[in-house]
Amino acid sequence: MAQQANHALPAGLQLEEYTITRQLSLGGFSIVYLATDGEGNRVAIKEYLPNSLALRGEGEIKPLITADHQGAFRYGMKCFFEEGRALARLSHPNVIRVLNFFRANDTVYMVMEYERGRTLQEFIQTHRGEVTERFIRGVFTRLLNGLREVHSHKLLHLDLKPSNVYLRSDNTPVLIDFGAARQTLSTDQPMLKPMYTPGFASPEHYGSRKDLGPWSDIYSVGASMYACIAGSAPQAANERYQKDTLLPAMMRWEGEYSDRLLEIIDWCLNLNHFYRPQSVFALQKALVETVTPPTPKESPNWLNRFVDKYKKASR
Amino acid sequence: MRFTIYQESRQGGRANNEDRITYCYSREALLMVIADGMGGHHYGEIAAQIAVQTLADSFQREARPTLADPFRFLQKGLTNAHHAILDYAERHRLGDTPRTTCVACIVQDSIAYWAHAGDSRLFLMRGDKVIAQTKDHSRIRILLEEGLISEARAATHPDRNKIYSCLGSPTPPEIEFSRKTPLKHGDILLLATDGLWGEISGDMMAITLKGANLVHAVPMLLTQAETKGGPHVDNLSVVAVRWEEAYVEEASSSISTQTMALDEVATHIEEFGRDPAHKTDLSEDEIEKAIEEIRAAIDKFNPRKQGQ
Repeated sequence: MAQQANHALPAGLQLEEYTITRQLSLGGFSIVYLATDGEGNRVAIKEYLPNSLALRGEGEIKPLITADHQGAFRYGMKCFFEEGRALARLSHPNVIRVLNFFRANDTVYMVMEYERGRTLQEFIQTHRGEVTERFIRGVFTRLLNGLREVHSHKLLHLDLKPSNVYLRSDNTPVLIDFGAARQTLSTDQPMLKPMYTPGFASPEHYGSRKDLGPWSDIYSVGASMYACIAGSAPQAANERYQKDTLLPAMMRWEGEYSDRLLEIIDWCLNLNHFYRPQSVFALQKALVETVTPPTPKESPNWLNRFVDKYKKASR
Repeated sequence: MRFTIYQESRQGGRANNEDRITYCYSREALLMVIADGMGGHHYGEIAAQIAVQTLADSFQREARPTLADPFRFLQKGLTNAHHAILDYAERHRLGDTPRTTCVACIVQDSIAYWAHAGDSRLFLMRGDKVIAQTKDHSRIRILLEEGLISEARAATHPDRNKIYSCLGSPTPPEIEFSRKTPLKHGDILLLATDGLWGEISGDMMAITLKGANLVHAVPMLLTQAETKGGPHVDNLSVVAVRWEEAYVEEASSSISTQTMALDEVATHIEEFGRDPAHKTDLSEDEIEKAIEEIRAAIDKFNPRKQGQ
C-alpha cells in the first residue's frame, strides 16, 4: 500500500530566477532539486510537498490539494516556515545557508546553498570499518561549532544523524535538514512532534518530549559517532529502555581507538540525559582537550595505510 | 497491504445467534464489522444483519480502492444502517424496532479508524498489551468510572447489559469515533461481542494472541470463553486481524542525492494535524507575511555573496 509518490518538476522549468536541473532527493514532506540561479550558480531548492496531502501527477506543475486536505496542508506549511525561519537566522560555515524563500505553484520553496560533496552517511557506507579517529575528531569538532550556533539561537536540531550531515569536498561538515528543528523557548505553541529517526533519536524524543534539550542533540551526536565506527545505527533508544543490547563503544573497540574518544561516545549515549554532556561546549572541550596519542595497535595500521597510499600514488 | 484475519461467530448456549460479523477488503482498504442484535427486543438478528450488510455494501461501492474519508464513511455507514433498521420496522409494522450494537473499523494506509455504538468492543493490541479500546455505552461503565460500584459488583449487576446507545432505537444513536491510529507491524485489532469479552478480558486475550497464529489462537479463545460461560453462555463473535505492514515513511529530504538511512533506519512521521486543535488555518496574508519575514531574516543574517 505504498503511497503514491509525487512527480518531480521537469528539468529546465523556470521558477522565479531559478532553472531546475534535476531532482536530488525525494522525502515524505518535500522534494529537493538541483537548480541554477540567474548567474549560473548552483543552488538546492526544497519544495514543500507532503506526499499524503498534495499530489502532483506526471507532467503537471501545480499539485492537487483537495479541500479536505487544505487545512492540514497549510498546517504543514507552517512547519516548513519554521524551518525557514530557523535557518535564516543562522549564519555559520557549518550550517546550511538559506538564500531565498518564495511562493509558487500553490506551495512554497526554500533555496539553499549547494556544494559538491556527500553526506556523512554515504561516507560511512563507502568507508565501512575504516573510519579513522582523526576523521571522527575532525568532522565532529567542526560540526559541533555549527551545533553550538544552532543552540545559541535557542534552537534544537532534533534530527541529527549521518544522513543530515553533509561533507564538502574538503570534508568540512555542514548541518542540513532542519525539518525537525524547533524553538525551545516559545512555549505558547504546543511542542510539535513531527519526526525522529530510530537509532539517532534520544530517549527524550519518545514520550512527552518535555525533557528535550541540548543534551538530546548530543545523544544524536554520540549515536552518529558510534555509527561512524560501527557502520550502522546503534540500537534505538526506546528499545534500549526495554532491553539495552547496545555494546558500549569502550567495550567494542578498545585498543582500536583512543580510550578518550570511546569514553566520550559512551558519555553522549547515556540513556539518562543528566549523565550526558550538558552542553555542546562541554562535549567539544572534551573532544579537543585530550589528544591522547593513538594506541600502539592503531599506529602501524594507520602508518601502513599511509605508506600504501603513497606507494600507489608514486607508481 | 498485508494482514492475517480470522472471524468466527458461535451461538453459545442460546436458542439462536443474533450476532453478525463481516470483513471486506479492497487492494488498499480493509473493513471489519461486528453487530450484536439485542435479545430483549424482537428481531435483534435482523437489526444486526441490516447493520453489517449496509456497511459492507457501501464499502464495496466506495472503496475503489481507497475510501476518500474513512471517518465520514463510518459515520455515514452507521447512520444509514440506523435509518435502514427504522425503515424496516415501519415497513413490517413492528411495534418495537429491532436494535443492535455495532462496532466497525477501517484500516487504510496502515492507519486504523473505528467507530462504535453500544457495548461491542474493539481492542488494539501491541505486544502483549491492550493499548486502546472502545468505551462501552453502558450505564455500568459510567457507574464504574465514577467509582460508584466495584469491578466485582459490575460483573453481576442486573443492569450490566443495559446500553444507552445502539442502532435502531427511536432516539438517534450516539456514535463514538476513535482517533486516527497508525498501526505498527504485528499490531492486532480485535472486535468482539460481550459474549467473548465478558468471559475473557482484553488483557488476557492480548497475552494469548501475542505472537500466535490467529487462525489457531482465536478459536481456542472462543472455546475457552464458552467453557467459562457455562451452558447458557451468550452468543460470542470475533473478528481479529494482525497487521503486517509498518507505517513507515522516508525521512524528510535533504540535499544529499540519497536520503536512505543506515541499514534499517526509517523515519516515522506522524500525520499532520492529528490533533484538530493544531489545524489552525493559515490565511493568505499570514503566508505572505511569513515569507516576508524569512526573506528579511535572510537579508539581515545571510547577506548574499556575489558570485559565490
